[in-house]
Order: sequence, then structure tokens, then C-alpha cells
Amino acid sequence: MVLGTGVGAGLVGVLLSIPALGFLLSPLFIKNREYWVTVGPIDSIPVDTPTPLYAFVPSEQGWPTPSQPRVVYIVKQADGQTLALSNICTHMQCDVHWDQALTQFLCPCHGGLYDILGNNIGGPPPQPLSQWVHRITYKAGTGEHILEIQNKLEENI
Amino acid sequence: MRTVRDARIALRRARARETLRSGYRWFDERTGAADLLHKGLYEAVPRRGGWAYTLGSATLALILLQLFSGIFLLLDYVPSVEEAWPSLNYLETQDPFGSWVRGLHLWGAYTLILVIGLHALRTFLSASYKRPRELNWVTGSLLFFLVLGLAITGAMLPWDQASYWTTVVVTNILHYFPFIGDGLRQLWRGGSFVGPITLTRTFAIHIWVLPFLLFTFIGAHLYLLRRHGEFGAWVNYDTTSDDPDKEIAHRIRTVEPPYPTKRIERRYAAPNQTDQFFPNQIFKDMLVSVALIALIFVMGRAAGAPLDPAADPATLTYVPTPEWFYLPLDQFLVLTPGNPLIAVGIFAIVGIGALAFMLLPFLDRSTERRPIRRPEILIPALFVVFAVVFLAMLGVNRLYSL
Repeated sequence: MVLGTGVGAGLVGVLLSIPALGFLLSPLFIKNREYWVTVGPIDSIPVDTPTPLYAFVPSEQGWPTPSQPRVVYIVKQADGQTLALSNICTHMQCDVHWDQALTQFLCPCHGGLYDILGNNIGGPPPQPLSQWVHRITYKAGTGEHILEIQNKLEENI
Repeated sequence: MRTVRDARIALRRARARETLRSGYRWFDERTGAADLLHKGLYEAVPRRGGWAYTLGSATLALILLQLFSGIFLLLDYVPSVEEAWPSLNYLETQDPFGSWVRGLHLWGAYTLILVIGLHALRTFLSASYKRPRELNWVTGSLLFFLVLGLAITGAMLPWDQASYWTTVVVTNILHYFPFIGDGLRQLWRGGSFVGPITLTRTFAIHIWVLPFLLFTFIGAHLYLLRRHGEFGAWVNYDTTSDDPDKEIAHRIRTVEPPYPTKRIERRYAAPNQTDQFFPNQIFKDMLVSVALIALIFVMGRAAGAPLDPAADPATLTYVPTPEWFYLPLDQFLVLTPGNPLIAVGIFAIVGIGALAFMLLPFLDRSTERRPIRRPEILIPALFVVFAVVFLAMLGVNRLYSL
């Protein structure tokens, strides 16, 4: 009888924990939603001057909610390469900003520093700034280069 | 004439008293309320140092105040990324008592953290956690961690700038946990980034999960307190006569319940002088709790709780600052750069520190009670306290450039 009660209680425990654990762990199984968002033309951005552009990016999770603004730092290099850096610090994910006087990206939270290409030059961040997953398309009609990004970073930070 | 009327009034009063008394008897026969109340109130407590022993009840009073003010906040607050900030902005600007209630909840939390810290400090200095009260300390330290957890999850709910960036940083810390860090962050956030599910999950943790655990452990903590009796401090066990053995034996023979404490060294089995919990100790408890709650009422009204502009994930100017009670830990993040060091700093050092704090009764094995005679425990503890204060000072210096 004692054994039976124990087995019964155990069974209830197991049955209850299946949906409970599944619900708890669901973010591990649900695939992030991916969207392409147009940021805009990048032709007028000067070389060697990281310039913030804003994009309204839908959330990768949950039910439909208003898109949130995100910063894309466009870094055009003299050799024609263009970076679409996120301003998410790789340390604790605070928003970094470009300081033109210091020519560095600064993080206000714990003092992370990055150079113009997003490489680490000081503070606690463990890896370089990541780019947004992006593509640049040439519009023959207007002669503009249009930047699009995804709600997703290239590197895991 | 006069005497007849007086007699009538007296008769009426007597009848009313009899009705009340029979109602009370009816209730008591069915519930045993009087017995329960008697058990709860009539206990001996150490007499000297009674003011220091008010901190535990003050902690409980402040936790109940948090429950109370928290329930009232729920009348307006909406746990959604779209509506959390607008609902609190409404509460702050439109609801005539809203900002006061929110102020109560914030200043109540600040005061609670201070008072629970003082309560732990008092218990540490008096070594009250020694056999048989080890689990009083273990449950108490769990309560301390739960309060800190409630404080940080509470700070994540308003979805203003301060709260948003607190959420980003706190959830991101998990990402540095070895092997399963990414999964843990994903579980709390409900995705890769902070978003709508992050807020609902944090809300559930703050409103149900942590309070449920908190009140469960409060029950265990109070049960253990009543089981072993209040230890007090070494001053409660001094002997004055030439024959300490005889004096102690006399104490043990004559002391009132819950003493003598079992499974403890003989000299600490019964305090030298006891007081009645009701009404003497509870009066002191009441005065301290009322003073603290009055202070919180004033601060809640006068200073209130700040509400930053709504969360903006694309800010280039906002400087996030941690809540003051997490400043030492935040400074720790600054001092541990690079990937392996971050994990060592946050999880190894802080984790081992928290574990050592919780398991203190099993580390401090001597029978000494005075702090000065327990240097092997006092010195590491002082080192930790100085380290925490030093980290806080570095943090203040970093954030406010003093």
C-alpha cells in the first residue's frame, strides 16, 4: 500500500513535469523568427567615419509586438569594404557608441573599447563587435546601394 | 430613578459581555485559537540585547510590506513590453496614490536589503548559527539570496531604460556559464535577444516563483527559531557567581520553554536572564518595525521611485547604472576581462563565496561564540566585507567619476 501510494505520487509527478518542463524549456526548441529589414541607402556615408543608421527590427521571439529600433554602424573603409556593425557590446550587450574625438567605440557599462573595425582595444569585452547579418543591393534605377539587415548577428556573442 | 437606570445599563453590559464570551468560547472550542496564540506569544527570550534581536521581526515586517505594496502595484501594472512602461507612467502621473505606492515598494526593498543584511551580521557576530541552529542559518541565507533575487527581478519589470539595460546585462551574465551558458540565457530571455517573453518570464519569477519559495523558507526559518529558542549572544550566557557550574545547573532547571536548548554545550543551554516574548520583546519589535515602516512611508512619498524614459534598444547616449546593492558585483564584471576570467569571476568566485556564506555553520566548528575568539572566521569575513566595500567604492568612482 505504501509502495502503491509512492508509485502513484511518482506517476503524478512525472506526468506533471512533462508539460511543465516542456513549457519551461520551450525557448530551446522554438526556432527564432528571421526577418529582412531595409535600413536604407548608404552611398552618402563618408569613408572612415562610423555612422549610425536605425532600423526597426521585429522581435525574433514570442507573439507579434512592435518592431524595436536597432543601431547599425556603417563603417566604410578606404579599400571599398563596408561593415554593418551592431552596437551591441560583446561583454554584457550594452549599446556602444562611436566617439569621433577618441576614434573608438565606447561601452558605457563596463568601459569596453573597440577600434573603428570593431576590434577589441581595451576593457573586458571578450570578442570583437559583431556585424548584423546583412546584404547590400545595388539599385540600377536610382544608382543607390541599399543596406538590408536581419534580426540576427553574424557571430554568437 | 438614577439607580434603576444604572442597574439596567449594568445588566445590558453584562449580557453583551456574556454574548461575546460565549462567541469566543464557541470559536475557541472549534479552532483552538487561544492555545495557538498562547504558544505563539508566551515564550522566553534572552533579556539583554533585546533591541538587537528585533532585526529578524523587522525583516519579516518589511517582507510583508513588500507583499502588500506589490499587490497594490499589480492593480495597474501590465507585464508586457508594450504596456509595462505606459501603465507605470499612468500610475506615476495620473493615479493620485500611485507614485507613493511605487515609492513604498522601492524604499521598502532598499530598507529590507539593509535590515536583512544587519540581521545576518548580528547573527554572524553572535555565532548564533552553531549547533543545533545550523539550519536556521542555512534557511536564513537562502532567504537573503531570495530577497536579492526579488530585488533584481523587480528592477527588471518597469521596462524603462534603467530596467531594460538591467535586464540585458543580468540575463547576459548567464551566457558565460560554462557549457550550457547559451541555453540558460535563451531560457530566461525566451530568444536570442531581450524581448516580450523575457519580461513575462521575469514577471512570473518575481511575482510567483521567488515569493513562493520565500514564504516557504520563512515558515521553516520561524519553525526552527521556535524549536531551538532565540540564542541571543555570548552576553546572555555570562555567569556571575563563584560556582558557574551550579549557576548553570540552576538556570537549566528553572528556565522557561523553549529552553533549555538541546544538543548544545551545557553553558549555552539557557540564557542567564529571560524576558517574556509577549509583551516585552514584541513591544520592542513593534517599535523598530513601526519606525522603519514610517521611514519608508516618508521616503516613498518624498523621494518616490524613478521612472526613466521607455526602453530604447538603440540608444547612443544612455549610461546604465546598476542598483546600489549590485554595484560591487557590477564592478567585479569590470575587473574580470576576457572570456575565461568572466566565468571564473562571476561563477567560481561569487559562487564559492555564496556557498561559503550559506555553509558558514559547517565551516566555523569551534565552540567559541565571541567574534574575537574566532579569528579563523572573523578575519576571512572582514576580508570579504572590505573587498565588497572596496569594489563598491571603485564602482562609485567609475560611474560618477569622483
